[in-house]
Amino acid sequence: MLSIQQDVYNIVQAKFLAAEIVKSIHLNVSVVDGPLENNNRILTLVEYNKSFALFVLVSSRVQPISFSDLSIESVIPLDQNFSFETEPVRGQNYVILIIRYKQNRYEFKIEIGKESCNFAAEIIHAKEVSLNSSTNFTWLEKYFGTMNQTNKNSNSSINDQNDFVIIRDGMAQGQASINRESMLKYQLKLREPEFTQKQEFTIFVGTWNVNGQPPTASLKSWLSCVETPPDLYAIGFQEIDLSKEAFIFNDTPREAEWQKSVMDGIHPNAKYRLVALSRLVGMQLAVIVNNQHYQYVKNVSMDTVGTGLLGKMGNKGGVAVRLELHNTSLCFVNCHLAAHVDEFERRNQDYKDINARMNFRRNPQAIKDHEQVYWLGDLNYRITDLTNLQVKTLLQRNEVTTLLRSDQLNQQRERGNVLLDYVEGDIAFHPTYKFDLNSDIYDTSEKARPPAWTDRILWRGKGIHQVHYKSHMELKISDHKPVSALFKSEISVVDQNRYRRVHEDLLKKMDKHENEFLPQVTVDQNEVVFNSVKFREPQSREIIIANTGVVPADFEFINKLNESTYCKDWLRIVPYCGSINPGEKCDVRLEVNLETDLDNIDDILILHLKGGKDMFITVSGSCQKSCFTQSLSTLVRIQVPIMHSKKEDFNSARNNQSPILYSVPRELWLLVDHLYRHGLKTRDLFESSALHEELIRIRDWLDYGSQDPLPGTPQAVAETLVLLLSYIKEPVIPFELQDVCIAAASNFQNCRQLLIQKLNDIHRTTFIYICMFLQELVKHSNDNGYEPKTLASLFGDILLRDQIRNAKPQASRGKANFVYNFLVNDLSSSLIPK
Amino acid sequence: MANRTGTAQRPNGQTQGKICQFKLVLLGESAVGKSSLVLRFVKGQFHEYQESTIGAAFLTQTICLDDTTVKFEIWDTAGQERYHSLAPMYYRGAQAAIVVYDITNQDTFGRAKTWVKELQRQASPTIVIALAGNKQDLANKRMVEYEEAQTYADENGLLFMETSAKTAMNVNDIFLAIAKKLPKNEQNTGQAGNAQGRRLTEGDTGPRAAGNCCK
Repeated sequence: MLSIQQDVYNIVQAKFLAAEIVKSIHLNVSVVDGPLENNNRILTLVEYNKSFALFVLVSSRVQPISFSDLSIESVIPLDQNFSFETEPVRGQNYVILIIRYKQNRYEFKIEIGKESCNFAAEIIHAKEVSLNSSTNFTWLEKYFGTMNQTNKNSNSSINDQNDFVIIRDGMAQGQASINRESMLKYQLKLREPEFTQKQEFTIFVGTWNVNGQPPTASLKSWLSCVETPPDLYAIGFQEIDLSKEAFIFNDTPREAEWQKSVMDGIHPNAKYRLVALSRLVGMQLAVIVNNQHYQYVKNVSMDTVGTGLLGKMGNKGGVAVRLELHNTSLCFVNCHLAAHVDEFERRNQDYKDINARMNFRRNPQAIKDHEQVYWLGDLNYRITDLTNLQVKTLLQRNEVTTLLRSDQLNQQRERGNVLLDYVEGDIAFHPTYKFDLNSDIYDTSEKARPPAWTDRILWRGKGIHQVHYKSHMELKISDHKPVSALFKSEISVVDQNRYRRVHEDLLKKMDKHENEFLPQVTVDQNEVVFNSVKFREPQSREIIIANTGVVPADFEFINKLNESTYCKDWLRIVPYCGSINPGEKCDVRLEVNLETDLDNIDDILILHLKGGKDMFITVSGSCQKSCFTQSLSTLVRIQVPIMHSKKEDFNSARNNQSPILYSVPRELWLLVDHLYRHGLKTRDLFESSALHEELIRIRDWLDYGSQDPLPGTPQAVAETLVLLLSYIKEPVIPFELQDVCIAAASNFQNCRQLLIQKLNDIHRTTFIYICMFLQELVKHSNDNGYEPKTLASLFGDILLRDQIRNAKPQASRGKANFVYNFLVNDLSSSLIPK
Repeated sequence: MANRTGTAQRPNGQTQGKICQFKLVLLGESAVGKSSLVLRFVKGQFHEYQESTIGAAFLTQTICLDDTTVKFEIWDTAGQERYHSLAPMYYRGAQAAIVVYDITNQDTFGRAKTWVKELQRQASPTIVIALAGNKQDLANKRMVEYEEAQTYADENGLLFMETSAKTAMNVNDIFLAIAKKLPKNEQNTGQAGNAQGRRLTEGDTGPRAAGNCCK
């Protein structure tokens, strides 16, 4: 990859989570129908857990220098809805890349070359992988929130997919919390020197192959050979049990016996506590700490690796314990590698296997990840090229150095085959293997194995100083002698006060960061006032939400406590939610449409920013009275048009305190009378919809009264009549009577009976009045085309209006049947009160 | 995430115990200095002409105690009476509240008492309430006596301090006192962080468990 592309690649990758891998990018892409020199798009193929998506990124610079220069324009999942093709352009060095996703089509201009070939190949491959595995695209959801508004809509179709589970909130916020924690950990590590100091600890490491013997001798001469009690012990044994049971079931009574023997043998001048005991068959490792340090040991973990029979069994291998002492990670590995003089390569392999397979299931996971590693055990490397006699002669002359040149471990380490970056102290002791039991005499048996330094202790890490390295001839129960090494090791110790200061400082910085990155917007007005809101005459105001913060702001108008909608039914907010990029604005339209009888409108809207603050926007205004939203019983008590009615008169009419002045409302009479005179022969009287202004004029004519004739066409007047009957406070057949009316609809007499018994005079008269008018219309059906059935079905839904407006009408047929009775039967005067 | 410690782990101080997250709400008459107290506490700033809050501002701030770290999600509410009905959205689920009054204005103290009553009646029963007599720098115009407020606070089991967002007097202290008083037991262990910026909506009935702790 070109270096410039590699740089951009890294920047693009930074735009995504670590697990979302940028597989391929294509730079300098332009949109086909966009402005000419607009080649600032970067196509990016991203994989997350075998699901792929194509991101169209827009770079704010020609060459992005930070991921913040990039914004996501589109996100296109590579699922079965995705397809793409290229279209060459004659005589040009570019092709058109056409991407289709459901009904969306994207066209990009890309230069022909290696980059485009590679990119296309990656997409083809990704598409194949996607189709062959059950993919989940939920990881994309968080990116839709970051896209700008226009593109969001075109991508919304993705949500239709069944497998698209939307858990946007959870994901986004969960992410934030993880980031915060790992960020804190990372920053603390960076600033560790500020709050730690090096302190020297003595670490006593011992190893002994006990040849299957029980502990019959005291270990004091070995484990307590130092004057001052060590701070920490790591004692490893090999071959504590050679029985088949131990080998097969990995269970042995010797574990406890040897452990007791260790605890009895360690330094008597201090109290110790076992931190961990790790064992595999005959290999056992105990890490023991001086009581005073016990509380500073943490994250203890252990593991074992068998490299014996079949490469797996525990007759050979390693056992390890890892821990953190104060702020330093330590790892102790006790191993028993393959035997026999010639098997040094097998031993090298065992070492590699132990490293590869030892896994502590916690961070740091591998042996090499620890700041200090102590490697001990029966490494089993022998002395080569010398006869038994030569070795013994050299030993008698105490020519240890000469002899060590023939030590396989030294040879293999020099060649880099084993324990490469480990250090071993100078060996001044004689080989620790192989002795006749209970003696200091090297093997006198028939096999007459030459002596060897099989038992070794090495280390790796900074600040480790070896104080001694020796064997312990006093212990004779095994064919090996124990070896010990004492270390003075630098451990980084936390200064609590300084730590607290750094920790607090970091938290404060993160708070600051977090607060700075909260979404911030301003609205240009917190008070929206509407003047004189009139019946069905919508008014709108715009408020501007401006993102003044540094991150995209997702806004939404939210419900108040115990309310099921985010605004009252007379208000509409468009859009009620959205996302605004930093520095950008969004116009939100508040539209009032009054359809009920209110003196004032008043509401507080809560504009919520996801992950941030709330803002309140008060919407208020005065409303103008209208006859359309009154009840029949109010209307029949008002003598003059409603706008001329005095406040007291109106209120007493509203409270049914004033006398009834008309048998049907004036306004109703005016409309019906007009239609009676001008509209009986009008075809499709109720079907055509009038101009809004026309309806407003008729409304005002009714509400204000006028000397002028009723304005508007018969159709407009008819529509006004329908409106009036649809919006009056209580339908002509009140809600609670509708069910019985519908039930009685099959029988006119029953219907008639209901009308007489249940309906009050005002409603009954109004109902009959409307029906008589409709009968008049039917008489002229030749001209106007209205049959009783048509009118019944039209007026059934109006006269028996549903309680919930704008919903699907309920029981329309029953209502029509009810009304039909009164259109085809004689409405004798007995129905009409005096 | 709640507990990364193994059986053999003991705290050695390095990880400084747990982080507890609490929702704190500021209530009180308008212009008593709620936003100023938050601004002083979170950013160490003071603006003589702080804009009136129309809504509920949100900020976070962390306080380190000896063994725990307390992260406050602070909701600074609008004080104007017209927004009173919206206040439950913010104090519902809050583990702590600071009810603020202005020591130079007796009415605001009366209003503070009403807020305390409302919280006692409607907020979480375990809510820690602190009473802050703000504008202590204007003590020469004092209309509410220290002893009167102290007595009231004692009777109602409230933390009480006179504060000054202007001089910073007792500002950190009152948040610190709340942090200390909040329960930080293991029961509170949950997921911190994902409560960020969150208000209780209909799904979250009643107050949340008293705290939100996590290591």
